[in-house]
Amino acid sequence: MGSLAVELFGKRLKNPVMNASGTLGYGVEIEPLWGVETMGAYVTKGLSIKPHHGNPTPRVWEERYGMINSIGLQNVGIERFFSHYFPFFEEKKCPIIVNFFGFSEEEYVSCAAGIRPHDLIVALEMNLSCPNIKKGGISFGKEASAVHAIVRSVREATRIPLIAKLTPEVKNIAEIARAAYEGGADGLTLINTMPAAVVDIGRRKVPLKGGLSGPILKPVAVRAVHECSKEVPIPVIGAGGIMDTQDALAFFMAGARAIQIGTATFVDPFTMPKIIAGLESWLDDNGCADISAIVGITHE
Amino acid sequence: MDDIPGKIVGNTIGAGGFRRLIVRLERPLGRVTPGQFIMLKIPEREVFLRRPFSIYDSRGKTLTVMYRVVGKGTDALAAAAAKAPVMVLGPLGRGFTVNKKNTCLVVAGGIGFAGVRMLLKRLGERGTLFLGVTTGDELKIAEDLEGSRLLTATLDGSRGFAGDVVSLLGRHLDEYRGKSPEVFACGPSGMVKSLRKLLEPSGIPCQVSVEERMACGMGLCFGCVVAMKDETNPYKRVCKEGPVFSLWDLSL
Repeated sequence: MGSLAVELFGKRLKNPVMNASGTLGYGVEIEPLWGVETMGAYVTKGLSIKPHHGNPTPRVWEERYGMINSIGLQNVGIERFFSHYFPFFEEKKCPIIVNFFGFSEEEYVSCAAGIRPHDLIVALEMNLSCPNIKKGGISFGKEASAVHAIVRSVREATRIPLIAKLTPEVKNIAEIARAAYEGGADGLTLINTMPAAVVDIGRRKVPLKGGLSGPILKPVAVRAVHECSKEVPIPVIGAGGIMDTQDALAFFMAGARAIQIGTATFVDPFTMPKIIAGLESWLDDNGCADISAIVGITHE
Repeated sequence: MDDIPGKIVGNTIGAGGFRRLIVRLERPLGRVTPGQFIMLKIPEREVFLRRPFSIYDSRGKTLTVMYRVVGKGTDALAAAAAKAPVMVLGPLGRGFTVNKKNTCLVVAGGIGFAGVRMLLKRLGERGTLFLGVTTGDELKIAEDLEGSRLLTATLDGSRGFAGDVVSLLGRHLDEYRGKSPEVFACGPSGMVKSLRKLLEPSGIPCQVSVEERMACGMGLCFGCVVAMKDETNPYKRVCKEGPVFSLWDLSL
């Protein structure tokens, strides 16, 4: 039997499949169908220092082969997550990756500094797509120098392995990846949603601007994973439109050490268990002993 | 909650453009609380996300949904042929809570009837339905309703009370004084707003079923929130904490 187990940031995960941040609630919601411990790790909803209320509706809009969301990072805050939801993961011995964000460098730093290392915390994942309020609302993730600076500041604030989650809306994502790596990131998650908008024809209005996700995004994500995993020697976690086992395999072959599933869960809530089973069968059918054997196999 | 494969066995249009979809499921949906809903995978490639529908009726492996064509998803659903495969996730959300001591006044506007139909079935003779529609023809939506007392309003004045359903309720509200009335409502947002205006002076308990655009239907994405009065927690998930809320907790 082929093995899906992977070592990531010094921790052994039973498989390389995770949810994308913000697409599996606080983890408890999926319990009636399957348990979070099915995954290699659970990625938290984006957490901030203080609770965040998020945006008014509409927050979601369907597109052909994808969707646009503007949830606005609604979350209960780091403190409440750890007092109220973390015990659930402890009970299940389910490893977690803590996704967090801020609207200033100070907020990122206090978030990271406020999270104590724990056996189950695999890494912190910084969402770099947030607007920097102090710099006119430009996303932290768009300039290599800004990425380097904020990753370095956060790096100094925590001993926990640090993942930078990058936005694809940049001129050269490999350059951004290098900046994050040189700033001290231990890994990268590629990619976040892409900025998008919809028009309501009947009302002649733009009801929603937000992040585009779903299979429409997959080729963009595959390219980012391919380029960045060649550029930097740290693990890349692939995300963007993975709907099935074939999609997942494309990400591993492009260079991803692990993958995240997001929007697909809304279409079929069993997507993750199905992909985990699908990868196991694929390894067996292809005489492959270990998923790691195909990671980056497309690199020349 | 379960995700159940099924096949369309009926998909017909009735009076007023209300459509009835009947699905034969591989497994029964299980115990349904009136007011709960399902997420339906529509058998059409171009419809990406599932769509939420109130559970109109659920008996064994047979599920009935009532709907109207309002957009791309319901348009594709209306075109779906018999035997087309679907997936049904449910039952979802928190439904109505019935206190046996109260007199139950059910208020439905148009297709909102689909959201209270199971409740009315459970209430039987204990329930009174105030049904508001646009034209008299649309009153056929409630033709197979048994047991409950029915009062009707039409906006075109062709049958029953001429006007909106909340005004109709207003005319009868005094009859229920001292009988612990409780209102259960499902309808367009304008109806809910005028309901609040009507009931505000008396503060009569009122549970209302809310609608919002959804992606997951099970609390994963926080896409379908509704604004609450509580400033410390101003957005609750329609699919998880709802779709039924106390009218007095909502910020309309």
